[in-house]
Amino acid sequence: MATELSRTQGHTAHQRRRTWRTPMYTLTNYLFILPFLILFATFVAGPIFYSFWISLHDWKILAREQPFIGLANYINLMRDGIWWIALRNSLYFAFLTSIINTIFALVVAMLVNAPIRGRDFFRFVFYAPVVLSVAAMGIIMSWMMNTQFGIINYFLVWFGLPPVRWLADPNLVIPSLSLATVWWGFGFPMVIYLAGLQGIPDHLYEAARIDGANTWQTIRYITIPLMMPSIFFVFVTQLIAHFQVFGQPYIMTGGGGPGRSSYTVIIYLYQTAWRYFLMGYGAAIAVALALVILFFTLIQFRIFGRRSVIEY
Amino acid sequence: MNRMRLWVVGMLIVALVIGACAPPPSQPPPVEAPAAEAPAVEEAAPTEPTPTATPIVAEAGAGATRLIYWNGLTGSDGVTMVEMVQKFTEENPDVSVRVEMMPWGTYFDKLLTSLVSGSPPDLFLLHEFEIPQFAGQGVLADMSDYYDDHGGPVPVSDIYPRVLEALELDGARYGVPLDIHGWGLWYNKDLFVEAGLDPETCPATAEEFVAAAKKLTKDVNGKRADEEGFDPTQVEQWGTAVSWQKPTTLSTMWQFGGDWSDRAGNATLTSDAVKKAVQFWYDLIYVEHVAPPPAGFDTWQTMAAGKLGMLPEGSWFLNFANDNEINWGVCPFPKIGDEHVTWISSHVIYTPPTLAGEKLEAAKRLISFLTEQGALWATSGQPPARISQFESLTPDRYLSAIVLGTSFQEIGRYDFAHPCIQQVIDQGYMPEFDAIYNNLKTVEQGLADANARVQDILDRCR
Repeated sequence: MATELSRTQGHTAHQRRRTWRTPMYTLTNYLFILPFLILFATFVAGPIFYSFWISLHDWKILAREQPFIGLANYINLMRDGIWWIALRNSLYFAFLTSIINTIFALVVAMLVNAPIRGRDFFRFVFYAPVVLSVAAMGIIMSWMMNTQFGIINYFLVWFGLPPVRWLADPNLVIPSLSLATVWWGFGFPMVIYLAGLQGIPDHLYEAARIDGANTWQTIRYITIPLMMPSIFFVFVTQLIAHFQVFGQPYIMTGGGGPGRSSYTVIIYLYQTAWRYFLMGYGAAIAVALALVILFFTLIQFRIFGRRSVIEY
Repeated sequence: MNRMRLWVVGMLIVALVIGACAPPPSQPPPVEAPAAEAPAVEEAAPTEPTPTATPIVAEAGAGATRLIYWNGLTGSDGVTMVEMVQKFTEENPDVSVRVEMMPWGTYFDKLLTSLVSGSPPDLFLLHEFEIPQFAGQGVLADMSDYYDDHGGPVPVSDIYPRVLEALELDGARYGVPLDIHGWGLWYNKDLFVEAGLDPETCPATAEEFVAAAKKLTKDVNGKRADEEGFDPTQVEQWGTAVSWQKPTTLSTMWQFGGDWSDRAGNATLTSDAVKKAVQFWYDLIYVEHVAPPPAGFDTWQTMAAGKLGMLPEGSWFLNFANDNEINWGVCPFPKIGDEHVTWISSHVIYTPPTLAGEKLEAAKRLISFLTEQGALWATSGQPPARISQFESLTPDRYLSAIVLGTSFQEIGRYDFAHPCIQQVIDQGYMPEFDAIYNNLKTVEQGLADANARVQDILDRCR
């Protein structure tokens, strides 16, 4: 009986090994993943490891020889004041934008998930900016936020308020870039949230209403807990994406100004590698940024990953 | 413990993969070069009342030998360049040319990628100060044989000697020059008249320049900067502006006898001469209140709106001024320091070392032809590099090119063409100048930081 159970309900370690080693079984599985594996190895894994290899060299793109210099690029990077400025700006932008986007998109998703008139229209309107390229968005927003000729300041002055130096004030420039990015990109997390909200069973809300819960209590004790996987996914992906901010400061603040107030890591990487041909140092910047992203991703997994799964 | 290690390694791989795969909200876009780059030049005949759009790609001719020509002339000067190429293909029907114009920032990326991949354009345009950077990578051809002293068609005796010198490196001569462009002072004659200034006389010294700027600066109540009751917090019309910080600051620091390096591997941005130069422009903004903080201030549009009296700007400003019907005057960059100097540069046409056969022969003909068209090129305001062409310009049609071109001959200075020049500009001193002029750092602190950064770049570039 015991033997029968083990055969039908699961695999013993011995059986797992035997199945795993069955040639046909293994070959079939490998064939299924082979196309992806080839593309992944060629375009993702290969370049990642090659970048690390490049970062260990004084790699100048057109030079005949690329001398191996070990960790010298990383040591120089740690002493490089521009790297720390760029990293600080990237962190500030990434956290500010990700937090605002995560919260704002959730609020909007809840609003457009409600049975209101013109719901589909609002969903369309809120998602529409996502399809813009960063160049189009950047040019539009830099004109709107122009201190002298921008339409936002025009209306501020019209209401008797002083004009704001959105992109010219070093203290305001990153929040301004963040604002523009949220307008541009909150539609995507909104769609993810909508999918999550539509997956919450109605009977939970009905039960809450029967128990006398008000709207806030419903959100607090049903919606938000059940949306935590979506919120976690949105926040992690937003943070990773916004760490790599490039186009907005490149277009809207002339590459990181005023001074270096909006100079980011990817602008530094881009200039180092593609303007000055210093691929080794550029690769070191890329690897260092990947490690920083990894660090913050691990922290998020630690914080959010401890939450128990809610089943319904 | 092993599980923990596996978990960490797994997470490392996952994060690296996510980082690589995640769609960044900001792919490198095709945009204008950063502020440190030369502004796009512009063009169209001075008599034209409306601006002419520059095509991104233009096809000229239908000949069997096809040349690809890249440049960064996205302003209206691109129109003139296409016109010149079309003239060439009419006279050389066996050649067709595809002219591709893109913003300088994008242009450098594309050019480098094409050179690395072994498929560069047949001709491309750069500046003379970029020669060591590109030639050092082995991607520029020695073009000595384009000149008549090596059996080519371009007469050496007709090119300004200083331009030729700027093209020479390690015994080779790189490229063929189109022009000598540079930095001058443009002003609005209507605003001069309104301020009681003589519209036919330029401020030539620091004192005259500051005095004129004060008269041209006006607050919302109509009070000028040299009048009692002027409100510097509500300026409606500015006397001047720092404009593009690189040539303005370089010209001024050279006038005081300073430079960004001693040309022997040492940064010299903390010298008294450089401090005096930067302090002069800083004071115009924060002491005299006759120039705005640069961040967020659009000098060209403000000039077009008639709210800026004097603008330090390049010879390429001509067509913007004409297109926007500014009643402009132009004069040499004023003498602010002890010696009268202004920044100059040159557009130079290059071919890659891989070009050969029929294409090389056609490229030589095209380059030779383009250098013959200096007078047409000068309609964009850019003074020709050829002596005979410059001397043939007439004031009725080429006033700005003559005024500025003469000053470039007399007081012009090329920047030091260091192999890491672009890095020195973009990452060394420009962000620090910007921080100073936007009052984020004191003059001393900003220059100390700039000096340290430039020194670091020079050390690593050796």
